[in-house]
Amino acid sequence: MNTQLSPRLGTEDPRTPDLGLPAGRDALPGFAARHRRRLLRADALTVAAWGSLAASVALWLADGGTAGVSTVASGVTALGIVAGLAGMDLVLLMLLLAARIPLIDGAVGHDRALEFHRKLGKPSLYLLLAHGILIAVGYGMAEGLDPVSEAVALWALVPDMWLAFVSLALFIAVVVTSLVAVRRRFPYEFWYVVHLLTYAAVLTSLPHQFSVGGLFAEGTWQRWCWTAICAATGAALLYYRVIQPAVATFRHQLTVERVTAEARGVISVEMSGLQLQSLEGSGGRFFIWRFLAPGLWWHPHPFSLSAEPMALGNDGRGLLRITVRDLGQGTAQLAALRPGTKVAIEGPYGLFSSAARSRDRIVMIGAGIGITPLRALLERTPLAPGQATVLLRGHSGQELYLGDEVLELCRRRGATLFHLVGHGIQSLPTAGFPRPGTWRATP
Amino acid sequence: MRPRAAVSAALASAGILLAGWQSGVHVADTRSAVAAASTGNSSGSSSGLGTSGSAGTTGSSGAAGTGAAGAAAKAGGTYDGDIVQTRFGIVQVRITVKAGDITDVTALKLTDHEGRSVQISNYAAPILRSEVLQAQSADVRTVGGATVTSDAYLTSLQAALDAANL
Repeated sequence: MNTQLSPRLGTEDPRTPDLGLPAGRDALPGFAARHRRRLLRADALTVAAWGSLAASVALWLADGGTAGVSTVASGVTALGIVAGLAGMDLVLLMLLLAARIPLIDGAVGHDRALEFHRKLGKPSLYLLLAHGILIAVGYGMAEGLDPVSEAVALWALVPDMWLAFVSLALFIAVVVTSLVAVRRRFPYEFWYVVHLLTYAAVLTSLPHQFSVGGLFAEGTWQRWCWTAICAATGAALLYYRVIQPAVATFRHQLTVERVTAEARGVISVEMSGLQLQSLEGSGGRFFIWRFLAPGLWWHPHPFSLSAEPMALGNDGRGLLRITVRDLGQGTAQLAALRPGTKVAIEGPYGLFSSAARSRDRIVMIGAGIGITPLRALLERTPLAPGQATVLLRGHSGQELYLGDEVLELCRRRGATLFHLVGHGIQSLPTAGFPRPGTWRATP
Repeated sequence: MRPRAAVSAALASAGILLAGWQSGVHVADTRSAVAAASTGNSSGSSSGLGTSGSAGTTGSSGAAGTGAAGAAAKAGGTYDGDIVQTRFGIVQVRITVKAGDITDVTALKLTDHEGRSVQISNYAAPILRSEVLQAQSADVRTVGGATVTSDAYLTSLQAALDAANL
């Protein structure tokens, strides 16, 4: 099971551990302080998010919005305007949460950012629907029309409004296909393509905000504010989702070196690349990989590194590795990857790194293929002997993927390793820590 | 959400909303003053509107008797456009023609429902006027944020141009 990477495991590593913090077994970085700072950043972001929602409504208030409410019709219209502003703000927040911005992902983690993103989906759709309905009702009441005729009139007569209707239809499609119940019925690719329509939905919604809505009329400071936040969101998406991945791909020039079988249905892909020293400390974090081979290139795969990127020369030329379990059609194809295949990357993403540690002592728990990022993290995270406990779980000894490497790392770094194999979940006590003897201390 | 974040977020949001509302009250005060002033104007001009409304019909009847109207247009005069209904009020413009050129455009009536419309009208009308004078036609860009007003303005203008046989 040992791979090409194993010789390095035996040699003492002279480089300082990751994150530019002082090396040595005694001088551990202040994880607790860093953890507090990270929580503070997360809280600041939460405040900023809620503040932006309030600010979008404040734009309308500052325009004397409440003073304009004199009749029922204008009241309904005003509610519609506020719903539209809040809805758009939530949409922009969702875009930012999914933009993989280091400030956000580093504070709460990519997974939790996406969780918030999902949570905002329905509220933003409801607000946008309310916006459309309330405006149609409010305008209709002012003109003595029923809401449907008013909507038709808006579509036909007011420039840019048909785009707004298209936008709303797209938003509905995007949110409905993202509902868990609907999403399960379709392949990932279908959801992905529909989800890309979000960009079309946002873009088609923009013209009417600036041309029909009086709040953002030319010459108002509100117009500048709104333009600025829309442009900033667009720029963040463009930079972090398009430019940075392209730069990383070009910079590291990753190429498949070899594909090795680790166990049944589990392969390791080793890649060589340039300037890998800049990726040090990302062991355990994940990248989104695209193997630029026929039939594979359009399929993005999120996989964690199963070993620290290893820069061999001064120029940063080196190797990195992922370990993948055959879980779907896409991953099955990876076994057939040819050496020399170019690889495009996005990342590193995720918080499974030393950045997420909150204290000096750690417990690492990994099961099955989940052992592999743990193996990469164990390699370099600052640690004194006796401070780490590692628990591995697999259905069989075979399924303790990279178990040999983990064992070797634990010996080298003075971590305590336990493992449990077999199907006997029921043999575990329901509460508390497993009975002694169930988990084997690995010698 | 941690309590610290929840409390800070609530306080920050409340502060932002309050600040927005405060400055909004301020804006609304100045605007109602503007609105009052412009209502004064429009009531002043709406007394003129009665006459210009009939002038509008004379204009179009003049356009009907086109035989000599071409020459009349060249000679110049003022022509009133149609009254255009919008969701924010009615719009009507008057053009002054001299030697076949549009020398001036006056808004007899502009959208004035609610303070916001008055503000938009006051802002859009000068832009539309200068663009029309430059283009010498109703074929100009609508003003962003004032599309309804712009469309009505240009529709009324086109009627006036038709009346003037330009």
